[in-house]
Amino acid sequence: MFTICVLPLLLYPLTGLMMLQLAQVKTPQRIFISVVGDSEWFQDSGARESIRSPDTANQQPSILWTHHASDSPLAIEIDRKLGTHSSDSESIQGEQRNRLIEDLLLRSQADAILVLRGQHIEGNQEPVSADSENAKAGNTPLLVLSNQRLERSRTAVMQLQSLIHKWHHHYVRQHLEKKQIAQDLWQPPPIEHSDIAPVEVKQAVVWSRILPLILLVWALTGAFYPAIDLCAGEKERGTLETLLSSPATRKEIVWGKLLTITCFSVMTAVLNLISMVVTTGFVFRKAMDGTSDNPLSGFGPISLDLILWLMVLVIPMSAMFSALALAVASLARSSKEGQYYLMPLILVGFPLVMLPVMPGITLSSGTSIVPVTGAVLLSRAFMDGEYGTALMYLPSVACVTILCCLLATRWAVRQFENESVLFSDVDKGSMKGWVVRFWMHRTEYPTATESVLCGLSILVALFFGRLAMASQELNWGTFATSTIVIQIGLMLGPALIMAVMLTRSVPRSLRLTVPRFSELLACGLLAVYLHPTYVQFAAFISHEYPLGPETTQSLHQIDAILGSVPLWSVLLVLAVLPALCEEVVFRGFVFAGLLENKGVLRAVIGSAVLFGLSHGVLQQTVCATATGLLLGWLAYRTAGIACTCLFHVIHNSISMTLATSSSRSIEIPTWMNWALSKTESGVAYTDAWNTVSLILAVTLFAALALQSGKRSILPSNSLSEEIAGPVAPDIVIGTS
Amino acid sequence: MELVQVKNLRKSYADYQRDPFVAVESLSFSAKAGEVFGLLGPNGAGKTTALRILATVLQPTSGQAFISNFDVVSQAEMVRCSIGFVSNNTAIYERMTAWEMVEFFGRLYCVPISRLRERMESLFVQLKMTDFRDCPGARMSTGMKQKVSIARALIHDPPVLIFDEPTLGLDVLATRALHQIIIDLRDQGKCILFSTHIMREVERLCDRVAIMNRGQVLDSGSLPELSDRHKTSDFEELFYQLIMASEQSRSKAATRGIWFEDLGVPGVAPMNTAGGM
Repeated sequence: MFTICVLPLLLYPLTGLMMLQLAQVKTPQRIFISVVGDSEWFQDSGARESIRSPDTANQQPSILWTHHASDSPLAIEIDRKLGTHSSDSESIQGEQRNRLIEDLLLRSQADAILVLRGQHIEGNQEPVSADSENAKAGNTPLLVLSNQRLERSRTAVMQLQSLIHKWHHHYVRQHLEKKQIAQDLWQPPPIEHSDIAPVEVKQAVVWSRILPLILLVWALTGAFYPAIDLCAGEKERGTLETLLSSPATRKEIVWGKLLTITCFSVMTAVLNLISMVVTTGFVFRKAMDGTSDNPLSGFGPISLDLILWLMVLVIPMSAMFSALALAVASLARSSKEGQYYLMPLILVGFPLVMLPVMPGITLSSGTSIVPVTGAVLLSRAFMDGEYGTALMYLPSVACVTILCCLLATRWAVRQFENESVLFSDVDKGSMKGWVVRFWMHRTEYPTATESVLCGLSILVALFFGRLAMASQELNWGTFATSTIVIQIGLMLGPALIMAVMLTRSVPRSLRLTVPRFSELLACGLLAVYLHPTYVQFAAFISHEYPLGPETTQSLHQIDAILGSVPLWSVLLVLAVLPALCEEVVFRGFVFAGLLENKGVLRAVIGSAVLFGLSHGVLQQTVCATATGLLLGWLAYRTAGIACTCLFHVIHNSISMTLATSSSRSIEIPTWMNWALSKTESGVAYTDAWNTVSLILAVTLFAALALQSGKRSILPSNSLSEEIAGPVAPDIVIGTS
Repeated sequence: MELVQVKNLRKSYADYQRDPFVAVESLSFSAKAGEVFGLLGPNGAGKTTALRILATVLQPTSGQAFISNFDVVSQAEMVRCSIGFVSNNTAIYERMTAWEMVEFFGRLYCVPISRLRERMESLFVQLKMTDFRDCPGARMSTGMKQKVSIARALIHDPPVLIFDEPTLGLDVLATRALHQIIIDLRDQGKCILFSTHIMREVERLCDRVAIMNRGQVLDSGSLPELSDRHKTSDFEELFYQLIMASEQSRSKAATRGIWFEDLGVPGVAPMNTAGGM
């Protein structure tokens, strides 16, 4: 029933949510382009302006231009040695020419060099006349020097082409219309590419984008079907029971199965690769015969070193997918049910595989720690010959991949140690049975499944809620209304309904307890002391995972709106309300459910991840997950949500005050000058306060850990109550 | 020498899709070498759960069980080396031949290679399996599969053998052959735990039995003892009477439970009990 009714409702919105989050990582890569020669074109043609125009600024990566005038040494050297004029006799060709271009790119520290050769659109002159000589001059090719072996150089050339096209279609046409000159007379100058990367390398670049994608899909598929057979298949045949009664431990059984599945996964991927190599080799040799202008000219036979790097990629990826597939397949009670789990697994993995294919995504310290994505980007760096970069990020990619493998394997082992997973019968539950079970046998606290369902339902509701509200006009009224609707209607509402429907005690299932004053004080102070560290962490995250210009722009717009309304209303709507709602949901209902069976670590991590995902912007998600871990720990240590509510309110209030400080005239009292300073972007913490606050926070943290350690902090176990009997006396008395 | 000791064994499940239920309640018995101990009960009596606990596949909720003096929870690995477990579903791998399958388990039980071959040869002769030693599992009959399962369970020569309804789905010839194997094994001094719901098998094989229903032992002892106690030599009738009496007393308790619950007094009341007030 879950796979048919619940999964489709939750799966696609959650995948959409993940795609939206990842799409925000479109790194605005900074490109360096040198323009050599005719300064008039560069100054007056609109090339520079076109980059700054609003519609372009949102989509194109920022470009850093350097200009070398016609009489500069670089321009003279290019003019003399590369033969920018056809009459030049000193021009060099072949290997020597390539070496020179490489040297020029290195010296000018540019990703591409644009050489102008008399392309005039001078401000006060007519661009062309009917005079054939001028027309010919206008059509002298623009020379673009690049090394398209490198990703940055490829992006630079793409940007240049787009700009030149834009310049022709917008700027020149407008200019000609203004001058009332027939547009047919002007022909845009053709672009002559001088790319030092050999054809094979360029073909390899195309393959290096496509092949990892295909290979990973095959590795996952190749892992999944054997995993189903080795888990659900063994359950069906009854051989699993025999295996479990043999001297092999569960861990050994899992590792054995993992090795088998990995072998199958690697073999599937490799066989596909071999088949593709042979087929493409044959097809392209045939297709290329005698035709140079071919739609398949970007492709070529797959080279051997490319295959080598793909092999290096496929082994760790297969191992990771195999562990994941094994854990997921062990949940299936039959092979048929196992088939249902493949699509969710592919959909979850899909954004991670697709991310490296998106333009502008390169290997960086941020992307290298994203599972799958990091490994694909690393192998691509190796394929592109960027060995320096690849080796630099190899340790972080290897660590993340190994960690993911180990975590997935550990999960699989735990599934194999779980009797209810190994020996549960085929789903016999009816809808009526579920309803009766939920209502008549409500427990004191929510179960782990119920709390995870609550969290996922909220994520789905938020996904649709935010989409519906995205089209609204952005002003304080609509922004405040949508925030209130989202917080109360889409977050607090579902949690309260589930607490009433599924549990016998709403206060207990939401962890509403009376806190100690000392703990409240400590949490309040901790929020203040930790805030500078949080700001630094958020800055680091935004540096590592820069948001796309569109997201940044919309965030700036929101900041500007918030700056124009009274601070108290901003704090009430955006600091206090979300803090309380989020605490009730994530440290309340979700946390209480995940604590089932003393799963403290599961509760802290699970609630933090769901809390993080409930934030729409990726950067906030990462920061919120980290904060969620701390809040989860506090909720556990203080045995309730009162302290975390206070922490959250104070934290949000400080954040909102600082975020809107640039548009308010906030005066810093003189006694606060050592802690706060005024900058262009508003009020900021001083370095001294950053250090002092961190020390204070650590001290307070330790004190809180030691003090709360004396209290009984675990709720009575709901599972043990179930085992003790269908209806325990205290539960009946407490019926709400 | 008592090779199997079970003391107050209890197993309950907490499944989120249905009521928590007790599969085995206060199960106690012991079995010694050269004895066949039968667990007799209708479907759902808790026989398989009890045997799975003894085979260390499941963990008990409470109580203790020892096999060859090894605790099934804390010394599970030692217990696994001391038992051979034959389940009711003739579990074999379809792509492996009889020989490969037995060899695979021999290696899994760390039987030295030199001894393994010798042991396999003797087992294949003893169980009359030489005709189909190279036949893959997919092409075997149910009887052949069950023989392979027994050979697999015997490969490491364990002192205790657990048979969970081994004759399920077997024809008369195969059943007779299996019974003979079990009798031979008993004569070799093995301690055999045998679960079934067929009275004739009990009469033919078991030295002592425990009759179970809904997780609880209704009566236990040797067949003559049971016969004397219940004043009947018809064991099928004896079994039927015991089960019916158990069901009736359970039904009365359930009715009382509903009455108490209606008064607001907590009690055990199954959801699906008919005839409420």
